[in-house]
Amino acid sequence: MLVQLKGGRVIDPANNRDAVGDVYVENGRIVEKPAGRKPDEVHDVSGKIVMAGAIDVHSHIAGTNVTLGRQLMPELPLIAAAEGQPILPSTAAWGAYATGLRYAEMGYTTVIEPAMIPTHAIQAHKEMASIPVIDVAGLVVLGNDDYTLNLLRKGKAKSDELKDYVAWTLAHSKALGLKVINAGGSEAFKFNARTFDLDEEVPEYGVTSRGIVEAMQKVVADLGVPHPPHVHTNNLGIAGNVETAVATLEATQGHPIHLAHIQFYGYGNEGDKGFSSGAPALMEAINKHKNATVDVGQVLFGQTVTISGDILRQFDGRRAANPKKWVINQAEGNGTGVVPYNYKRKSFVNALQWAIGLEIFLLADDLWRVLFSTDHPNGALFTRYPEIFHLLMDRDERARWFDSLPEASRQVSGLAGISRELTLSELAIITRAAPAKVLGMTDRGHLAPGAVADVAVYTDQKNKTKMFAAADLVFKSGNVVVRKGTVVDVTWGHCFHVDPGFDSQINKRVCSFYDTYYGADPSWFGVTETVSDHPDRFATIRCAS
Amino acid sequence: MDSALDRAADLLAQARLPVFGGLFTDVNGAAAALALAQKLGGVIDHAASSGTSKAARVMRETGSTPASLGEVRNRADTVVLIGDGPRERDSKLLEKLFPAKSLPRPGDNKRELIVIRAKKGKTPKGVRTMELDGKHALPDLVALLGAAARELPFEVRDAALAKKVLSAGKRLRESAFVVFVYDPAELEEPVLHTVLETVRHLVKSTRAATLSMSAPGNGDGVNLCSIWTCGLPMRTSFAGGAPENNMWAFEAERLLKSGEADALVWIDALDGAEASPPTRAFRGIPAVVLSSKPVKAGRDDVVIEVGAAAADHDAEIYLPPIAGIGVVKASSGASKKPTVADVLKEIGALIDKKGAA
Repeated sequence: MLVQLKGGRVIDPANNRDAVGDVYVENGRIVEKPAGRKPDEVHDVSGKIVMAGAIDVHSHIAGTNVTLGRQLMPELPLIAAAEGQPILPSTAAWGAYATGLRYAEMGYTTVIEPAMIPTHAIQAHKEMASIPVIDVAGLVVLGNDDYTLNLLRKGKAKSDELKDYVAWTLAHSKALGLKVINAGGSEAFKFNARTFDLDEEVPEYGVTSRGIVEAMQKVVADLGVPHPPHVHTNNLGIAGNVETAVATLEATQGHPIHLAHIQFYGYGNEGDKGFSSGAPALMEAINKHKNATVDVGQVLFGQTVTISGDILRQFDGRRAANPKKWVINQAEGNGTGVVPYNYKRKSFVNALQWAIGLEIFLLADDLWRVLFSTDHPNGALFTRYPEIFHLLMDRDERARWFDSLPEASRQVSGLAGISRELTLSELAIITRAAPAKVLGMTDRGHLAPGAVADVAVYTDQKNKTKMFAAADLVFKSGNVVVRKGTVVDVTWGHCFHVDPGFDSQINKRVCSFYDTYYGADPSWFGVTETVSDHPDRFATIRCAS
Repeated sequence: MDSALDRAADLLAQARLPVFGGLFTDVNGAAAALALAQKLGGVIDHAASSGTSKAARVMRETGSTPASLGEVRNRADTVVLIGDGPRERDSKLLEKLFPAKSLPRPGDNKRELIVIRAKKGKTPKGVRTMELDGKHALPDLVALLGAAARELPFEVRDAALAKKVLSAGKRLRESAFVVFVYDPAELEEPVLHTVLETVRHLVKSTRAATLSMSAPGNGDGVNLCSIWTCGLPMRTSFAGGAPENNMWAFEAERLLKSGEADALVWIDALDGAEASPPTRAFRGIPAVVLSSKPVKAGRDDVVIEVGAAAADHDAEIYLPPIAGIGVVKASSGASKKPTVADVLKEIGALIDKKGAA
């Protein structure tokens, strides 16, 4: 069936398109305007904005850690709703099912879960398979696990075996890429370290955080995995940590890296309160390092819960828990920390965090490398993205928020001096085109013929919060799934993963390791097609080598 | 089979408050039961939810500090074993917790075991063991050890016990990684709180955690599935639309005894584990029974034979060695018997069809 989206303003920065025109869809794909054929279905979208479906590069939507958060904080949607946040006041509102519907209603069609635990990959995939409509993928976490650390033991780096081990882990967990969270820091925590810097050595293993990240960059490049290592670096959330972020960028020596939720590293330590915006210094470094991409991790004021494999950081953060309860889960590899948090508009620090995130977006030379995220739910619930789009696209809206901040925060923030407003094309870059590019998902994030027919149609209006909260029309793989901001057809998407090859000897070694130290068999946590009962659930993204 | 499914669909479509109990099933079975309970406005409860319910409530009130079995066996220098529950759940638990070979471990202490109010049992070779019992009840002993760990002043008449408790408290403070092991089904909530408070005190200066024994019958796997589905654990009702959890109100057995529930879906289909039906469950209240074993059922009950998860078909269930959901291959090869998920989905579809007709 040939479908025509007729007469909309098509915003497709990947193809330098911002013009009124048509988009044609057939068999789940975008197609050229077919000569001499009449469309079977026409959607008149004149006066509307037409974009590719949005792609979220970093959102905690599934797996052990998220479900631990749900266990600790079932009341999160109720508190958030009572504060006026756009979420239904039901515990089910951050369950798997509601997650898919809400994302789709905003015009999102692909979401990446950034922290699958290798031994718990089945749960992550079970949960992802319960999320309707959207396509998904998971990044698998390594870098604090004893198998990796043993291979990187000081002076004994066995890079071929590490390459095989990473490839085995990616394949075994059906992951799209590799995540590294506070490399070595969680292991150091197990030896009772409570801080861990880029050049500190992991007890017993001698390797540094820098050494782990460098090794992983090399391995991922050698394997040809399209998405570079997705790194949550050291010293998250600490005043003065912009130095760590800059040093991490310098350490990449030009090799590709993706730094996650960079806002949480944009902190200087100047001023009376020892906390200041490091955004200008951070952006200078990011603008310079052309092989680095970042997602921002914007915060918004209100109740949320922070969920992270950075157990060392979360342990420290437990003191700020609001409500006063927290989980520290000590497990293989990273473990988890879950700490409820309420970002307060009247807090000097929270207000600056909010401003720093926006500064990062607005000081970017190249938005293709500065991707949108709130690190959901850590900075803000994903249901609030439209508020941030509004702030980025409308300086009056920004000023309105800014004026309500504490005077001390306003005095030290450079945000008021930035007049930039993102255009629709720029928004489409940070929410569509750039995420697709960074993830190596070439068939989406744009509207060229051949792309998957994931399309979102919005009503252009000054109030961007309203505009992006409810898409007029969303196509997922060519099917209309949303009309007037409501899901009308509950479909089931695909899960993407890479499948790099490895020397099968690694199987034996990993089996022996798990048998000796855990009394476990790795086949127990291997992800197969049967993890979902939807046909053709899995799709492979090709590695370059 | 088809007529049984039809009768089951009729029975459930007419029910005012159906309860889904037993739930000794794999994650797919749990997901299907949750979907049907949501559709019908029913209640879900697992036959071994007494421990997980208590743990869930303590957690959402004040948090939790779990450790995986793997972390405990590789890194704990002090294990505090509370009560008989843990070894009743796993007779080889101590062998697993004190393996011959382990990963690099924090601190220089030799490994030590502290046993609180448990029957004598085999203790691991070469591991110093201290037993705290005397005339005191388990909750008292846990509280005493907690007070000793926190260096709070107290007097106990039993001088020998007092000496031991003080020494154990000192050991906890000097440990590099203390883990308290218990079965939440055996302990009351205040005891769980006391343990948690002790851990939270210890982590100010060292490393500490809890290892909670998993529930029988994939209780933890079913519970997790419920949480990612509706945000809430076992003993949740969908009768009011939005899910509501209450560990007293929505316990299956209470709902059946009180007459609030008017239909029961009883699921017992896991290899090697048996869910004992609630008292009088099959008397008076119409039931749909999905079982992999021979069933004594009432005349009006609908009994549907299903395959046993992990025997007749591959099963995703909670596996303690990985502290999470893993897959267990079918032990007896391919079977033609339907799974719990197959049957419940079919019943759901029949109910939809009847509703539409």
